[in-house]
Amino acid sequence: MSALGGPKQAGGIQPPTTMGLVLGIVLIIIALILAFFLVQMAGLIALIGIIIGGVLIGFGVHFVPVGGAPAAMGQAPGIATGVAMLAAGAGLAGLFGGAWAAPLGFAVALAGGAIGGGLLMAITCTMVNVIYVFGMGIPAASGKVDKDPITGDSFPEYKSQGTEGHGLPFISWVGGVIGGALGGLGGTLIYLELLDVYQAQLPVILNATVEQIAPIAISLAGIFAVAMFLINAVLAAYNITGTIEGPHDPKFKRFPRAIIAAAVASAVAGIFAIGLLELVGVF
Amino acid sequence: MSVKIEVGAGGIPHNQILIYGLVGSVILIYLTYLNTYMQAPYFAFFGGLAAVVALIWGTDTIKHLCSYGLGTGVPSAGMIALGSGVIAALFGATTGIFAPIVTVIIAAIIGAVAGLMANAVVRMDIPVMVVSLIELAIVGAITVLGLAAMACGTFEFLGMITGQISILGFTITSYETSLIGGSIIAVIFMLGAIAIQHSFNACLGPGEQQDRTLMLAAECGFLSMIVVAIMSFAFIDRYAAIITLVISIIGWLYTYAKYIELSKRDAYAWLDAQPILEPKGGA
Repeated sequence: MSALGGPKQAGGIQPPTTMGLVLGIVLIIIALILAFFLVQMAGLIALIGIIIGGVLIGFGVHFVPVGGAPAAMGQAPGIATGVAMLAAGAGLAGLFGGAWAAPLGFAVALAGGAIGGGLLMAITCTMVNVIYVFGMGIPAASGKVDKDPITGDSFPEYKSQGTEGHGLPFISWVGGVIGGALGGLGGTLIYLELLDVYQAQLPVILNATVEQIAPIAISLAGIFAVAMFLINAVLAAYNITGTIEGPHDPKFKRFPRAIIAAAVASAVAGIFAIGLLELVGVF
Repeated sequence: MSVKIEVGAGGIPHNQILIYGLVGSVILIYLTYLNTYMQAPYFAFFGGLAAVVALIWGTDTIKHLCSYGLGTGVPSAGMIALGSGVIAALFGATTGIFAPIVTVIIAAIIGAVAGLMANAVVRMDIPVMVVSLIELAIVGAITVLGLAAMACGTFEFLGMITGQISILGFTITSYETSLIGGSIIAVIFMLGAIAIQHSFNACLGPGEQQDRTLMLAAECGFLSMIVVAIMSFAFIDRYAAIITLVISIIGWLYTYAKYIELSKRDAYAWLDAQPILEPKGGA
């Protein structure tokens, strides 16, 4: 605990503490070894897939333009809700898309998940701008950059005084779609890896066919994918601390911290999800 | 703890609520084990009461944590709590009679990792972060386990994945009509998340009082309990489910009335109040 209560350094992005990094690496290695001993090679591959999925979620959240309460009042750019809600929406939409496509093969399912998440964010971002422009009568203007990096539109002329910008510029829209796609991809990857593990183990434990245990395997993999999605999304939200405009925001540069945190959290949560069925019938 | 910032001053100390919450909810979950002894699920409602006790404790933890300013919405704390909690609860459920104890330990591990990542890697540097996320993960796990035990009458994994279905008078075992196979666990997950994140989010601000916030937490808990009680008709004996439903409704009515009373106590004025007295001699 001694290293945690340290004084805040002024300015810049604070790098992770050495203790945090060492602890993270140790935890990931322990989780990988445990996965190998519990479910052999399949477990190891599944846990690596889960860690990659968690990292994709943690990285993807940084792309999503989150405005929070200031955006609801038209005083900051972005979608007017919190990181956890937006990420959960995009991730769950992606997960539904991926889970529906799961019987069609690994690649199709992953693509389905990415498209599901990206589509939800595309619709959300478009409708947010429709409400901003036609409902609230405010133009899209970023407060963090002078020119849109993609379209080249200039912002300062349109930005109201006393605000950090408002509306949803095109770069934020693109960021939202990329973030949704990455989140959906990561969530689907976690779901597919867990589904493989459960579909291999459950028929042996319950002495039943794969078709009979399908509802349990799908439900367990789904709820664990949602749970890990939320853990990673909230850690990324803590990294962003509040609002972010998209990939052009200076806060975006903080993403390496969230990737480390998401990898470690996914590894620890994932090992419990993979080892879930090892203890059934022991007690 | 050296740093202590209270949102609303006064009230019961947090550590006292922690001890009562932890011990009380674990004992209440164990009381559902009477179902196995009596061979009848009439004691399933104790699971719901355990969830209510845990939710009251969790709301006080969220209040404690959010008084430091997370930079993102209060609901994120509820999301990470249930995200970690559902993994711990389902893993713990596989250990039979030891389920509640194992659930608490596993939740503490996942919560500790998430807290250490948030503090040491993401650099939130909040002194109570690790302890709070451990508490929240335990609260989330007990909420899920308690509500699941209430819905299907047992906190054991095999009871959660097997259900009975009767066709033409014959009763056969089916995995589809179970708590997990039917994905009721996802509904329980969301009911718990909404219950834990709402109370402090609704009551925060100037004039926040601990008893009012915690009463709202209990009210949200009973509201979730009513929904789970209705769903439990599908899994447990009809009369047992009616007992559960009646207890939930009575609990909700009582806490709701108390909450309105406390709100009127703390409010400056309300519609059916006496007219606001004008100061003498005119304004």
